[in-house]
Amino acid sequence: MAGGSAISGLVGARVHRKEDRTILTGAGRYVDDVQERGMLHCHFLRSTVAHARITGIDVEAARGLEGVVRVFTGADMSAITEDLNFAQPIPGLHSPAYPAIAHDVVRYVGEPVALIVAESRYLAEDAAALIEVEYDLLDPVVSTTAGLADGAPQLFEDVPGNVVHADEQLFGDIEAAFAQADHVVTDSLDQHRWACNPMETRGGVATYDRGSGQLTYEASTQTTHTLRFLLAGWIRQPIHQLRVTANNIGGGFGLKFSIYREDVALCAAAKAIGGTVKWIEDRNEHLVAAGAAREEQLTLEAAVKADGTLLGLRVTMLLDAGAYPINPPATVYAGLVRTTLPGPYKLPAYQFSHKIVATNKASYISLRGPWAVETLVRERLMDKIASTCGISPVEVRRRNLITLDDQPTKMVTNVTLECVTAAETFEKMIGMVDLDEVRREQEAARAEGRLLGFGVGTFIEPAPGTQEFWAAVGFPFGAEPLRIRIEIDGKVTAFTPQTPHGQSHETTLSQLIGDELGVGMDDIRIVYGDTDATPFSMLGTGGSRAATMASGAAVYGARELRTRVLDIASHLLEASVDDLEIVDGIVSVKGAPGASVPLGQIAMGCWLAPDQMPEGTNTELEYVASYDGEGGGFSQASHACWVEIDQETGKVEVTRFLVVEDCGRMINPAVVEGQVVGGVAMGLGGMLLEHSAYDAEGQFLSATFMDYLMPSAPEVPEVEIEHLEFESDKVISSRGVGEGGTVLAPAALLNAIDDALAQVGRGRVMATPVTPTRMLELLGVIEKA
Amino acid sequence: MKPAAFEYLSPTSIEEAVQALTDPDDGDTKVLAGGQSLVPLLSLRLAQPARIVDINRIPGLGEITESGGVLTIGTLVRQRSAEHSDVVRRACPLMAEALPHIGHTAIRNRGTVGGSIAHADPAAELPTVAACLDAELVARGPRGERVIPAAEFFTGFFTTALAEDEILTAVRIRSAAPGTGAAYEEVSRRHGDFAMAGVAAVVRLDGDVVAEARIAISGVDLVPVRAGKAEAALVGRVVDEPTLVAAAEAGVADLHPSADLHGSAPYRKHLAGVLIRKAVRTAAQRARESR
Amino acid sequence: MNNGNTTREITLTVNGRKRTVTIEVRRTLADFLREDLGLTATHLGCEHGVCGACTVIVDGATERSCTQLAVQADGREVTTVEGLNGPNGELHPVQEALRDHHSFQCGFCTPGFVMAIHGMVEEKKAGRPSPCSRAEIREELSGNICRCTGYQSIIDGAEAALAAGAGKES
Ligand SMILES: Cc1cc2nc3c(=O)[nH]c(=O)nc-3n(C[C@H](O)[C@H](O)[C@H](O)COP(=O)(O)OP(=O)(O)OC[C@H]3O[C@@H](n4cnc5c(N)ncnc54)[C@H](O)[C@@H]3O)c2cc1C
Ligand code: FES
Ligand code: FES
Repeated sequence: MAGGSAISGLVGARVHRKEDRTILTGAGRYVDDVQERGMLHCHFLRSTVAHARITGIDVEAARGLEGVVRVFTGADMSAITEDLNFAQPIPGLHSPAYPAIAHDVVRYVGEPVALIVAESRYLAEDAAALIEVEYDLLDPVVSTTAGLADGAPQLFEDVPGNVVHADEQLFGDIEAAFAQADHVVTDSLDQHRWACNPMETRGGVATYDRGSGQLTYEASTQTTHTLRFLLAGWIRQPIHQLRVTANNIGGGFGLKFSIYREDVALCAAAKAIGGTVKWIEDRNEHLVAAGAAREEQLTLEAAVKADGTLLGLRVTMLLDAGAYPINPPATVYAGLVRTTLPGPYKLPAYQFSHKIVATNKASYISLRGPWAVETLVRERLMDKIASTCGISPVEVRRRNLITLDDQPTKMVTNVTLECVTAAETFEKMIGMVDLDEVRREQEAARAEGRLLGFGVGTFIEPAPGTQEFWAAVGFPFGAEPLRIRIEIDGKVTAFTPQTPHGQSHETTLSQLIGDELGVGMDDIRIVYGDTDATPFSMLGTGGSRAATMASGAAVYGARELRTRVLDIASHLLEASVDDLEIVDGIVSVKGAPGASVPLGQIAMGCWLAPDQMPEGTNTELEYVASYDGEGGGFSQASHACWVEIDQETGKVEVTRFLVVEDCGRMINPAVVEGQVVGGVAMGLGGMLLEHSAYDAEGQFLSATFMDYLMPSAPEVPEVEIEHLEFESDKVISSRGVGEGGTVLAPAALLNAIDDALAQVGRGRVMATPVTPTRMLELLGVIEKA
Repeated sequence: MKPAAFEYLSPTSIEEAVQALTDPDDGDTKVLAGGQSLVPLLSLRLAQPARIVDINRIPGLGEITESGGVLTIGTLVRQRSAEHSDVVRRACPLMAEALPHIGHTAIRNRGTVGGSIAHADPAAELPTVAACLDAELVARGPRGERVIPAAEFFTGFFTTALAEDEILTAVRIRSAAPGTGAAYEEVSRRHGDFAMAGVAAVVRLDGDVVAEARIAISGVDLVPVRAGKAEAALVGRVVDEPTLVAAAEAGVADLHPSADLHGSAPYRKHLAGVLIRKAVRTAAQRARESR
Repeated sequence: MNNGNTTREITLTVNGRKRTVTIEVRRTLADFLREDLGLTATHLGCEHGVCGACTVIVDGATERSCTQLAVQADGREVTTVEGLNGPNGELHPVQEALRDHHSFQCGFCTPGFVMAIHGMVEEKKAGRPSPCSRAEIREELSGNICRCTGYQSIIDGAEAALAAGAGKES
C-alpha cells in the first residue's frame, strides 16, 4: 500500500485512494449537503393511484400556508417547460413525450402531480398534505401479459397495444440448425423487478441568477453533459447559460445516467422563482418513484447436438418498461440483450425477438449491466443442455466456448471477438475447484439431511465494447476526451467528463498520469463534474467505459505533454530526448542526476515567458486528448458459487463464492476487487432479497427499507478473487470491471440452487426472487399460496 | 419524510406524564420512549399525533431489579442494557436470548423494553417473550396503577389493553425456576429484520418428563399467540422427536397467518412448526443441563 | 417542565462544544446536526432507521440520529464524524484502518460505518462483549447498509481497527 507520493510504478499498485480523506472525514459535498443563503426546499406530491385521469387539483390551502413560496401544478409547470421527449429516429419505437408534472393522466403510483417550494422540507411536506387531487380511476396494467391482452387498458394514445417496440432479428440459418438438432432444449425465466438503490437518492440544487440569467444545476448525476444538453431545451434555457455540476455522488448504478422529470421541474422552479431550490428524494419516494430494472420474461429454445454442441438458439423477451421512457430508449436494452446473449460461445444460428411493453409502473431504468438477463438465461440454459445431454456443466461449456486460439472470430451477432479470455478464466477457475470433492461433500451432506449446491457461469462484458458491438446494439460509441494541464509550478490538473461516483477515477487517472509524467499522486488533481470546465462527452460514467476510455485519454494527454516538456528539456540540458527521464517532478539526464531541471521551472517558463523558451518547441502545456479505444474490447469472468439450502426454512446461504476475472491490466487491484465484490453482492441481493413489488392494483409494496431488502453484511459471502491479467498489445489494455459482478453472479447462484434442487429430484427455479417461500415451494415442502 | 408538527412535552415525573396524557383527552397524544418505532412512523407521517409526551426524562423507569422471585424491568430500560444485564440473563434467559434478535446495536442502544411491548408488533420478540412467560405489565394512569397479565395485554394488531391515558411503567416476570430451560428461535429474511415467525419456548422437566411447557409464536397472527395445544402435547412426555413433531403439529393447527412480501401464509405456518420443534428441543436440552 | 410547544430551547454538547439553541420540536437530530449546525458528514440514507448512514455517538453509545428528535438530545453529548479527527485534521485510527483497506467507494454510507466501527472499538476497549470473528463483525455491522462495496473491504478495515484499537488509547 503505497502512500500518496510514490513517483513511478503507480499503475498496478494498490495505492491509497485520493478520495478517501474526503469521504472518511465526511467532508464530501453530496447534493443534500449543499446549503445556500435563501435556499428553498422542494417536495413533490405524488400520485397515490396507478392509473387515473386527474379531474381536479386544489392547491389553494397549500399556497396559503405560511412558509410556502410556490406551488406548481402540472398545468403551471407545463406553461414554463417542454415535455420530456426521449424519442429517437428508431424504426417502430413509440416513445411518448410527457410533462414534468402530470396534469391529465397519472400512470404509476408515485408520479409527480404537484411541486411545492417552501422555506423548509418540513413545511413543503405540510403543504403537500393540504393539496387535494381528484382522480377518475382507470384500470391499471400491471404486467406485460396483461398489457398485451386483447382489450387491455391503453396507457398512451401513441403506444398502440401498449407495445413500445417490437422486433425480431435473425442471424444465420436457424431453420437448418433446428433441423439438424439431436435435442431441442427449452427454458424460460421470469425475472422480477429490482432496483439500483444508491445510498444517495436522486436530487439536485438549482440556482438561477437573475442578473446574468445563468442557471447552475448541481446534480447527483452520472452524466453532466447529457443532463445539460437535454435539460436546456426542456426548461427553455439557452444552453450557454446553463451549467451542470456534480460533486460527491453517493452511487448511481445506472439510475443516474438518465435525466428525470424531477430535474426538469426543479430547474424550471428555480428559474420561475429566481433563486436557489433544493430537492433531495427521500427513500420512500426513491423506492416508489425513481424507477426499477430487470423485469423481463424470456423463453429459450436451443438446438443442440447429442454431445452438447450448440447449433442454434431462439429467444423471445418481454420487457416491462413501466409507464414512461427515459434515457436510453428501451430499444437499447433489448439491443444489448440480443447482441450479448450468445456470449463467449460458438453459436451458428440465432433468432431473437422482443416486445417492450408499457405498464402502470415506474420507469424501467438501467441497473449495473442492464443487459444482465442475457447471461442469466444463457448460463442456466447451458446447465440444462448439460443435463439433457448427460454431460457436466463444465464439459458443456468446454465444448462450446470460444478460446483464444479461435480468435479473432465473429459472434453470430456480427461482433468481432479478439483477446476474449472467457474460456481461459473458466479453465483457471475449474482448476481451482476440486469438482470430485464438491460432489463428495454434497453426498455426505445429503446423508446428514443437508442440501448443498454448486453452480458456475461465464460471460463477456462489453466494457467498453467495440464500435461494431455498439452499432449492433444501436447506441453511440464515442471517443473519450480529457483535458490536461501542467500548471505553472509543475503540478498537474486534468479535466474529465467522467462523473465518478465510487469508481475511484481520481485515484486511477492520477496513477496513469503520474506514471506518464513522473509526478506524484499528490501533485495531480482530477477535475470532474462541471460542464464549464470539462470537455464534452455524451456518456459520463456508465457502461464500464472509464477503465479503457478515460484511461486512454489520460495516457495520451499526459504523453503529449511529456513530449513537449522533454523536447524543451532536451534543449535546456543539451541532451537527447531519449536520454531524459522525469522522476518526482524533476527532468534529468538518465544516469547523470546533476543535469536536471524541475518540471516547475519549465512550466513557469512556458506559461510566463514562452518566447524565451527554446526555439521551435511547443510551449503550450494544456492539451485536449481524445481516445477512441483502439477498437475497444471486452472483459470477462467466470464465477463459481456454493450454496447451502435449509430445507426447513427455505433460506439459501452462499457459503463460498469464487471469481476469476480478466479486465486486462489492473490500474489498481484494490479498486478492481472493490468493484467485483460490490457487483457480486448486488447480483446476489437482487436474486435473493430485493424486490420492487406491485400488487394487482399497481400499488407499490416495497416502499421502505423494511420491505425492500438491501443485502447487509451478514447476507454477503466472502468473495475470493483471482485475476487473469491478459494484456492485449493496445496502448491501454485495461478494461472495465464495474458491472460484471452483478451480471454473472445471479447465473452462478441460480445454477447452484438448481443443482441442489436436482439432487433431491425437484424442478428448477423458473421465477425470481428466490425467497424462502419460493424455495420451500420448489422443494415441495409447502404448497403454493 | 419529515414529521408533521406536534406539541412536545417532556414530563419529569410519572404523575406529570399521566396528566399530560389526560389533558386534553382527545386521544391524540402519543408516548415517546426509545422512538425506534415511533419516530420512523412520524417521519413517514403514518403517525401524526397532536402531542408527544416524551417519557425519557422521568427518573426511576430505567431500573432492573429482582426480588422475591420476580424480575422487574422498568419500561425505559434500553434493549441493549437488558441484553447486557447479568440479572436478566439469570432471571430471564429467554429474554436475554431474544433481545439480540431486535434490529441492530444502534437500534437497541435506544429502543426500550417497554416501548417494544407497548408497540405490540406481532412479529416482535419482546411481546412474544411476555406472552410466553405470562409477564405482568404494570401500567399507570389517572386511576392509579394496574397490572395487566400478558394474556390480556395484546388485544390486536399493534394494539394493547393500555388506555390512551395510561403509561406502561414496568414489566414483571417470574424468575426462571431451577430445572427450566428456555430458547428463542426465529427466522427473518436478513439479520436484524422483524421475523417471519419466531418461537419462544420454556420447558420445565421433572426427571425426563415435561412438567410444564410454555410456547409463544410471533408473526403468525395479529398478536403473539400462545400455542396451548402444543404445550399440552408436551406435558407429561419425554421430549423426543415424535413428541416434538406432534407438538409442532398441534401448535400450528389453528394458525391462519396472513401473507406479505416476505412470506406466504403456508410458509409462515410451516415455519412456526419448524421453530416450535427447534425451540422446544433446545429448551429441553437446556433444562436437562441446568440440573 | 416546559409547556407543550412547538419550539424549545435546548443545551447540548456536539463534538465537545456546548451549544444552546432554540429549535422546532419536530426536527430530527439528524436534520438539526446537518442543517442547523452544518455538520453534513452525518448522512441520511433512509430516514427510517434501517440504513445506519446517520449513526452518531450519543453519551458514548451508537445511535441513529434520524430516529430521535433533536429536543431529546437536550443535556446530552453527541459526537459526529467531524468530531473524530485530530486538531490538524489527522485521520482517526479507525479512519486510517479503513483507508488502508480501501474500504469504501462512493462514500455515502461511510460516516455511518466510521461511527459504528468506532463504537465497536470503544466497546471493546471498555471490556464489553465485542465481536471477534469476521462473521461476528458482519453481524455487528448489519445495521449499516453499503450499496457499493459488498462489505468485504469494510470488514477488512473494521478487523484491523479492532485489532489496533485493542492495543491503543485514542
Ligand atoms: C431498523 C429497525 C429494525 C428493527 N428491528 C426490530 C426487530 O427485529 N424486532 C423488534 O421487536 N423491534 C425491532 N425494531 C423496533 C425497535 O425495537 C423499537 O425499539 C421498538 O419496537 C419500540 O420501542 P421504543 O422504545 O423505540 O418505542 P417508541 O418507538 O418510542 O414507541 C413505540 C410505541 O409504543 C408506545 N410506547 C412506548 N413506550 C410506552 C410506554 N411506556 N407506555 C405506553 N406506550 C408506550 C409509543 O407511544 C409508540 O406507539 C426495529 C426498529 C428499526 C428502526
Ligand atoms: S438515515 Fe438513519 S438509519 Fe438510515
Ligand atoms: S461506499 Fe457507496 S454506499 Fe458504501
